[in-house]
Amino acid sequence: MTAIIVGASSGLGRALAGELAQRGHPLLLIASDARDLQALAADLALRHEVEVATLAMDLAREVDPGARILAALASLPPATALLLPVGLSRRDDAFGLGAGAIGELLAINLHAPLAIVHALLPMLCERHATVVLFGSIAAVRGRGHNVVYASAKRALESAYESLRQAHAPDVLHVQLYRLGFLATNLTWGLRLPLSPAAPATVARRVVARLGKGSFKRYLPRRFALVALLLRALPWFVFRRLRG
Amino acid sequence: MGAMSMTHGADRRGLALASAQLSSFDRQFTAQAQVQRPDRYRLLDALPLDTPRIARGSGVSYVAASFGSEAVSQDMGSFDRLLAFDIRTGLVCVEAGMAIGDLQRFLLPRGWYLPIAPGHPRATIGGCIAADVHGKNPARDGTFRALVEELQLHVPGHGLLSLDAHHDADLFAATCGGLGLTGTITRATLRLRRPPGAIALRRVPVANLAEAARVLREAANAQVLYGWHDGQSARFGSGVIHLGLADEEATPPALDTSPARDLPASIAPLPFTVWNARAIALANSWLRRRWCAPGMSVAPLASALFPLNDARWYFAGFGSAGLVELQWLVPHPRFEAFAAALGECVAREQPRIALVSSKLFDGHAHGLAFDGKGIALALHLPSPAAPRQRAFCEQFTQIALAHEGRPNLIKDATLDADSVRRAIADFEVRRLALARYNADGRFRSELTRRLAL
Repeated sequence: MTAIIVGASSGLGRALAGELAQRGHPLLLIASDARDLQALAADLALRHEVEVATLAMDLAREVDPGARILAALASLPPATALLLPVGLSRRDDAFGLGAGAIGELLAINLHAPLAIVHALLPMLCERHATVVLFGSIAAVRGRGHNVVYASAKRALESAYESLRQAHAPDVLHVQLYRLGFLATNLTWGLRLPLSPAAPATVARRVVARLGKGSFKRYLPRRFALVALLLRALPWFVFRRLRG
Repeated sequence: MGAMSMTHGADRRGLALASAQLSSFDRQFTAQAQVQRPDRYRLLDALPLDTPRIARGSGVSYVAASFGSEAVSQDMGSFDRLLAFDIRTGLVCVEAGMAIGDLQRFLLPRGWYLPIAPGHPRATIGGCIAADVHGKNPARDGTFRALVEELQLHVPGHGLLSLDAHHDADLFAATCGGLGLTGTITRATLRLRRPPGAIALRRVPVANLAEAARVLREAANAQVLYGWHDGQSARFGSGVIHLGLADEEATPPALDTSPARDLPASIAPLPFTVWNARAIALANSWLRRRWCAPGMSVAPLASALFPLNDARWYFAGFGSAGLVELQWLVPHPRFEAFAAALGECVAREQPRIALVSSKLFDGHAHGLAFDGKGIALALHLPSPAAPRQRAFCEQFTQIALAHEGRPNLIKDATLDADSVRRAIADFEVRRLALARYNADGRFRSELTRRLAL
């Protein structure tokens, strides 16, 4: 019944919260700022009359985020979905970051999702739940930009494979979406080669597939073609794509 | 969208700016402006303290109140959430970026509504407060400030401040109608009213503006009260007063109130101006046949709240040259003379006037807001840059000034700093009251630049 959304306060996370609330799911919303969470929780509870709990924590600094989530779940109906639309990128992620900044990117994009999945896994398996991970088109082929971000997102794909390999399909659904450009604050003002998708549209598709098997796919779907082309580019052409 | 600059730091993570071309609703001002779209509270603090800025809602004010070439527009669209609703007492707390149409859609099925709403359903709550807008009968309901119980204001360097009539009362009063110059409104608690089941809309034909003023004064307590008038010289001022009374018995026709039906924030103009003299004559003739006979109809409240939803093609018809809305409030003792002088001016200048509307006001002018006691007249003029149109606008302003009129700053793009100072006797006192909270000129827009606020 309950869906857990990590990174719920903005962008795709907020859209997922709206979509799930509309379908009547109780929610546990997790983000760094209590002000954003309280506003979102109040709105969803008023509009859709669903139970919404919140947990404010900074994933870059939280030692054991999974334990806190488990504690917050105690007052909610059983959780059957864990969605991790959490991510942080920075424009200066181009071999110019110090160790602290690299650590922050890895903590939010990789460590936190892994730690949360590890902590919640027994409970999720017991309920035949769905774990939804979110990769990125940036991880298709390593470039001189988004170096740490893309590394973390590619590592997340390995985690997806591990989860699938270790758990039978009737025990745990594992879904990975490689996201293309979304119209969020992350892409606001960027010159993008393709128009960004509305988070609400993507959220609708993700929520519609909850509990429906394990897979990885691109969203929006047209980015599958973009990824194919990127991979097919000969090295001498690809290395010239510096923009 | 143009180039982006992004700054990262401990407190600026996620700050993103886009360069965007923004136009006022009347299309009289366009600028390349920097726009931030904060989607979390933390990002309200992400701009450097000394960066000039102005809050932006849906960008539907007639004039450029939410942007300017010298300021970052903080688009509050993500702050559109319901925060609290007490169905028993009729209080609702919402974030400032919520569109008034969306809020009415939430409230009406729950037995409450906002009695004061501007015509455009996409106007945001923050914008309604900052412009202190009026609704369908300001004489009965007052202006938007009458609904505001409490505010939250973001002031750079000071964070989020809670204000009401008792706590920080001066700042609260200055913020209502303060054109965004005291800070960024982030949330508001509003007092609601029980809606009528339907509106019985009575039509009272009038031969001229003086008669219209008399009818308006006699119907001051109507739920909906406004006049439509012909703007052509031969029939100037003739028209009809729409007088809406609550009707609990009638069953109104079904109405599609889905968000998709809302007038868009930005209306693509037709490639040419439809509203030439012949088209205006045809439209007025059609409206006269439709409205200018005594009668009554029953309408759902929602249709009376947002009449502009049916006006998409009307606004598109102004073309890329746009329109200008002249709206002045003239005191009762001066209104008949004002109407007569205006009629003479229209006969002499033969301007193209697409619409004339009238409303009754019975309040007190707070700050620079559009309120007072008298009759407000609004005129829509196509192609205001055309010489004849421009000449008429200038003469209209002089006539209104001569009759002690008060201009609506949020509507009229032809106003200059000098005219406004002549029209609002205590303008300098009001300006200084706002400047107390904006000493470094951090909050600014094209509107405040034009009026030297």
